[in-house]
Amino acid sequence: MAAEISDRVRELAEARGLPESEVFEQALERGLEDLWEDLVLARYLDGELAREKAIERVGRTKVERAEREREVVEGDVDWGLNA
Amino acid sequence: MTLAAVSDAGPLIHLAEIDSLELLATFDTLLVPETVYKEVDAGGVPDGLPGLSYELVEADESRVKTEELDAGERAAIAVAEERGAVLLTDDLAARDTASDTGVEVRGSIGIIALGYGRGLLDRHEAASRMRALQRETSLFVTEAVVERGIDMLDDQ
Repeated sequence: MAAEISDRVRELAEARGLPESEVFEQALERGLEDLWEDLVLARYLDGELAREKAIERVGRTKVERAEREREVVEGDVDWGLNA
Repeated sequence: MTLAAVSDAGPLIHLAEIDSLELLATFDTLLVPETVYKEVDAGGVPDGLPGLSYELVEADESRVKTEELDAGERAAIAVAEERGAVLLTDDLAARDTASDTGVEVRGSIGIIALGYGRGLLDRHEAASRMRALQRETSLFVTEAVVERGIDMLDDQ
C-alpha cells in the first residue's frame, strides 16, 4: 500500500507539474473535506445537528442525498430482519 | 416465506467486491436477466458467480419506458414485474422507477441484513460487511447512513 501511494503521488506530481509536497497537501485537504462531511451528516442523522445547520455546512444536495439513503437503508434493513 | 428475486448488475458487482455473493443464496429463486449477465461479464465474471445457483432469463426491457435507466436495470424491472419477484438494485433511479410500478425493491445492504436475519451471519460479520460495502466497493452510500443501518441490527 505504501509503495502504491508513493507511485501514485509521483505520477500525479509528474502529470500535474507539481511538487510531491503539494500533491500531499491537496490529498490531505480533500480527505479532510470528506471526513468533515461524514461528521456533519452523522451528527445531523443522529439528531445532534439541525437540518439547516447541516445544509449550511455541507450543502443541500448532500443532506437531501443522505436523507434519501437513510430512508432506503432503514427500509432495507427492516425488511432483511423480518423477511 | 419463499423469496424470489431478480438482480441488476449493481448488487452482483458490489457483493462480489466484498466476497459476499454467497448471501444471494438466501433467496429461494434468483433470476439474472441475460442483459445484466452481459453487463457483469463485460467487467469479468466475479469469482463467486459461477458457484451461485441462479436462472438466466430473457427480458423485454422495452416494457420499461424510461431513458434514465440502462438496459440491464430496465430488464431487471421488467422481470420483477412479470414474475412478482423482489428487485435487487443499488441504483436510486431504478429503485424509484420500480417502486412506481409496484415492484418491491431492495439493495445490497438489505441483502446483508437478510443474511443476518436468517442466521447466515452473526452481528459482527453483518456489520463488518456493511462497512466494507461502504468503504471498499464502488457503491456510493454515506458512512453515517450505513452506521444507522448497523445500529438497526441490534433492534432485532
